[in-house]
Amino acid sequence: MALLEVKSLEVSFGLRSGAVKALRNISFTLERGERLGLVGESGAGKSVLGFSILNLISKPGRISGGEIWFDGKNLADLSAKELRDVRGNRISMIFQDPMMTLNPVLTIGQQMIECLKAHRKISNDAARTIAIQKLKQVYIPSPETRIDQYPHELSGGMRQRIVIAIGLLMDPDIIIADEPTTALDVTIQAEIMELMVELCDRNNVALILITHDLGVVSQVTQKAIVMYAGRIIEQGPTKEIINDAQHPYTQGLMNALPQMAIPGQRLNQIRGAMPPLQNIPTGCAFNPRCDYVMDECTKQLPGYTVSGNCQVACHMVANLKKAEQTSDEV
Amino acid sequence: MSVQEQQQASEQDQTQEQAQAQSRTENKPESLVQIRDLYKKFNISGDFLDQLKFQGGKIVREQEFVHAINGVNLDVHKGEALCVVGESGCGKSTVARTVMGLLNPSRGSISYRGERIDNLDDKALMPYRKKMQMIFQNPYASLNPRMTIGQTLMEPVKLHNPTWSALEIRDKVHEVMFSVGIDPSWGERFAHEFSGGQRQRISIARALAVDPEFIVADEPISALDVSIQAQVLNLMMDAQEKRNLTYLFITHDLAVVEHFGTRVAVMYLGSLCELAPTKALFAKPRHPYTQALLSAIPRLEDDRPSHIKLQGEVPTPVNLPSGCVFHGRCPYVNDRCKKEIPQLIATDDGGQVACHAVEEGRL
Repeated sequence: MALLEVKSLEVSFGLRSGAVKALRNISFTLERGERLGLVGESGAGKSVLGFSILNLISKPGRISGGEIWFDGKNLADLSAKELRDVRGNRISMIFQDPMMTLNPVLTIGQQMIECLKAHRKISNDAARTIAIQKLKQVYIPSPETRIDQYPHELSGGMRQRIVIAIGLLMDPDIIIADEPTTALDVTIQAEIMELMVELCDRNNVALILITHDLGVVSQVTQKAIVMYAGRIIEQGPTKEIINDAQHPYTQGLMNALPQMAIPGQRLNQIRGAMPPLQNIPTGCAFNPRCDYVMDECTKQLPGYTVSGNCQVACHMVANLKKAEQTSDEV
Repeated sequence: MSVQEQQQASEQDQTQEQAQAQSRTENKPESLVQIRDLYKKFNISGDFLDQLKFQGGKIVREQEFVHAINGVNLDVHKGEALCVVGESGCGKSTVARTVMGLLNPSRGSISYRGERIDNLDDKALMPYRKKMQMIFQNPYASLNPRMTIGQTLMEPVKLHNPTWSALEIRDKVHEVMFSVGIDPSWGERFAHEFSGGQRQRISIARALAVDPEFIVADEPISALDVSIQAQVLNLMMDAQEKRNLTYLFITHDLAVVEHFGTRVAVMYLGSLCELAPTKALFAKPRHPYTQALLSAIPRLEDDRPSHIKLQGEVPTPVNLPSGCVFHGRCPYVNDRCKKEIPQLIATDDGGQVACHAVEEGRL
């Protein structure tokens, strides 16, 4: 059985102008020790999905449908108290900006010990020992002195490593990392990503990596989910998606990267912008920006077609597959 | 071959030679902006009373400085896109702001077409401000939320062309809006009604509205999504072609540099460590820091060797390391690096690099 199974999840935000669906019909599974990438532009719903797994959506948002199965429990149904046992304990979260995540008025040690004592009956000394050991795991030099320092005394890369150490404190099964390196420089980013892969491998922790950087996804993850306007439009093994993207949006995203164009020439841009969630076009949400748009696309929401090991929500891919099958039969 | 024909042929040769000589002088790039020996430090020691310390029975005044730029020499050639890259805190944005006259240099000079501009007062600077414009990083913060887009775009045109009639100003605003792909009829709208990509186009339109020659762009696309980044970069490249612009492009995104830049300047802790034509730099980075930086770019291909790991962290710019600023993290460090500051030396592929190891042939 999969470690985490999300079944037709829906999240909506009740606004004055009516309810807006931020996530529609999201289904995927995550195995133990697997690294999954969630890709998409801002507003695609990737962060909302990350947050909704731990039911961290704040009002006016709520999970309006679907199930999140983890360890035999449906997280969408749990009470606040039961959820607290899962949050930070079995599933932990790493946020984008380490300066915002860490409390500026508490030392690193206080924050780590607080977290340990919230979940376990443990003495201060024992908690401190565990904290130091975790700091060692993320290669913080001289952890015995660092543990008594405040966040502002550390560099950005060091802070993010401490956030990762806090994420690892309770030996979780899943880490959800929401753009963990966006606020950091390239050299530090490479370092942090390598560290996360190493730690996940060593402790057999599953990772959900939320990012907009396709380069990072291709290097870190084994499976990838591409989101657009609150829906999964393509999911499958990362290698297949990177090398042979099926959905026109995924193809567009890849081709828009500067490394895909001849230096000095125009980049292959996707025209237009993602529609606001209040105003998603009927049919396929991508149809106004798509180069291959057909009649069907503007009328009917595409279902998922299996192509290789990927699932793609696109009428064109579905038609191509159908044509292939019939030609095979003939 | 008759004598006449020979003469003709030799004349042709001569004219060809002349043409070649001419093109050679044309090829020699004309420098538009010259940055000479630029230093910028920021005083971070607080007010006078904060600076007083009690030491060994005496009251001493102590001042602390952040050394943001330490002796940068840089020429921006006409018609090129010079990219400045480096990690946060390396002083690249300070260079941009100092060039624009938004900050005063602590030492050194900045010249525009041979005229020194860093010591001019506001009034004398006006004609240069018209020729030099800036695009900022965050289009959410750089547009006034209380002005309509039309007003935002009209303001610089009015200021720099005081004799123009209202009609001329309106035509100019419509022209730039049209050229960046914003419908001129949207001029009545406010900035919050636009998406991030559209806002950045409006920022670009504002810079283009006074027909500048030189544009400083400080991380213009890092706040935008991938698909929108491509749109804005294309727009900037089109504008460069049509209006014959020169760019000083500040960024930390090396993939963009590879695509967009004519030359690249790599900065580390306020110093220039390498300056080279883009192709040469990406094909063969010389400075150990550039090598590490390039190897850290996340690429789509996964069959490349893992990145070069640097030891330690960027030192604080308050107490600069002696000698080469990179020596604490450099794998090729020796005693000379710790003592002597390396100067830029020319490399065979048209670049310049400041590294003792390269100079001595150790690298």
